[in-house]
Amino acid sequence: MPSALSASHLGKVYPHASGDAAALDDLSLEVPTGRTYGLIGRNGAGKTTFVRIASTQLAPSSGRVEILGLEAGRDDRAIRLRIACVPQESRPLYFLRVEEVVYLYLKLRGIAAVEARRRTREILDELSLADVRTRLVSRLSGGQRRRTMCAMVLASDAEILFLDEPTTGLDPIARREVWQAIRRTSREHRTILLTTHYLDEVEALSSRLALLEKGRLVLEGTPADLRARVRFPYRVTVQGPIPRAELDSYGRVSEIEGGFLVFTKEAAARELARRALEVGARLSMGPVSLEDVFLEVVGRSIEEEPAADDGEEAWA
Amino acid sequence: MSARHRLRSLLTLVLLNGLIPIRTQPMYLVSLLGSPLAYLFFIDVISRGTLLAYGVTGGLVLMMLSAGTSLQSDLTHYKHDLKFQDVVVASPVEAPVYVGGMALSELVYSLPAASVFFALFVVNGFATLESCVVLVGVLLLVFGFATALAFTLATYFQDVRETYMYSPLLSTLLTVIPPVYYPLSDLPRWAQIAARFSPTTYAAGLVQGSVGLAPLSLDGGILDWGILGAAAAGLFVVAGVKARWKEP
Repeated sequence: MPSALSASHLGKVYPHASGDAAALDDLSLEVPTGRTYGLIGRNGAGKTTFVRIASTQLAPSSGRVEILGLEAGRDDRAIRLRIACVPQESRPLYFLRVEEVVYLYLKLRGIAAVEARRRTREILDELSLADVRTRLVSRLSGGQRRRTMCAMVLASDAEILFLDEPTTGLDPIARREVWQAIRRTSREHRTILLTTHYLDEVEALSSRLALLEKGRLVLEGTPADLRARVRFPYRVTVQGPIPRAELDSYGRVSEIEGGFLVFTKEAAARELARRALEVGARLSMGPVSLEDVFLEVVGRSIEEEPAADDGEEAWA
Repeated sequence: MSARHRLRSLLTLVLLNGLIPIRTQPMYLVSLLGSPLAYLFFIDVISRGTLLAYGVTGGLVLMMLSAGTSLQSDLTHYKHDLKFQDVVVASPVEAPVYVGGMALSELVYSLPAASVFFALFVVNGFATLESCVVLVGVLLLVFGFATALAFTLATYFQDVRETYMYSPLLSTLLTVIPPVYYPLSDLPRWAQIAARFSPTTYAAGLVQGSVGLAPLSLDGGILDWGILGAAAAGLFVVAGVKARWKEP
């Protein structure tokens, strides 16, 4: 399948950045056409910098990006006809009504009035914003504002959509409505580049994903690929009469409330299950979550802020 | 993007940033009227009516300058607080369309002020074919100069609060201190030379000359037109080079 987006040895050092801190460092990745591609990483990992470069808002310091076969920097005008972006922390203009935010954005993109009205109606229904369509943005909740931003680009005719943390601040029901709209958009064979802190979101929506840390690509592949690449691809929780010293022989063990969490390999997990049956311990088992993968690869939780000595700013 | 699409995008921006905000907050229409009318009142009272005509022509120049420079706040707010410019950059809308649409939208706010001051211009018997042509030409150049200045400045601001100090400063430096509301000849010699560094001196001189308030310069104003046009064109070049659409 041809790539919708191809980044090659991409680097970015911001002017006035402290020291030689690179926001992106030799990053190469391919985003397949017609899929949702997830980009995960902690704050300051380089996700937003990558989105801004790929969506022609920011020039790279080195390397190149091709979008739909066009080179960013050289073919920006042609690329912009085919992309749409919800930037991180963007908000709709507060004096507009919800339906005007979407409708006027579509008109700005050159879509005819009748078609823009139809698309606006449909997306507001899909994202449960129809009831507030005539409400001023200034009177919306934070979640409704974010959904309005998503509605705007999801209603567009763009072939590649860049969604930079689109569901931040949404309640679980609203998040799932946005997920539905993203899935529907992906079924239309459009490509979505999604950055998020929510690992369940990226797992639910993305066919492939990339894990960034300090501007570098750490892991890339399908969620199953990523799980397979960690040292211990299974997580087993054990509650019962198996001593810690014995559990240590199966893999990496940490104490949890009421028992132990064991990260282990497939054969060892089976052996541990057998042992649990013998001694009557309670046990649950499954593949590691993306959170576990993240923790093992990066050494910290995705929610953890970069340390001051990381030598990197929380870019953009 | 076809010319039709460009025009549609441009008009959408005028609607979005010019007409719709007025629906929400009609006081926008009054705000651009306040300063020129206040200056007019002040000058009329102080001069016992003798400088009223200068107040009218000066008010027109100030109104257009304010319309142009107020763009810096909108641009900065849209870029940094709402990330609206980022949304637009990653879309088919081209930089000149965004710039043009945003600039034209500012003119909407100046319509009441323009109406009041043009009515005063007519009532005072200044409206001849020649003076109207000069007035329109001068005001367009002042607006062009002011919008180019606003775009250049907005590039360097990181927060809308930074624009708050520049708007009154620009207004003072370009319309209150230079001889926009009074004759250039009233200034001492050194101040006349200093005033020549402000493009609004030439703008006011041309309008004042066209209505017979002040004698036109020996070359019939050609030099004034040239300097005013060069200032506007020069700032457009600076804005084109310095204003950032895509971040470096």
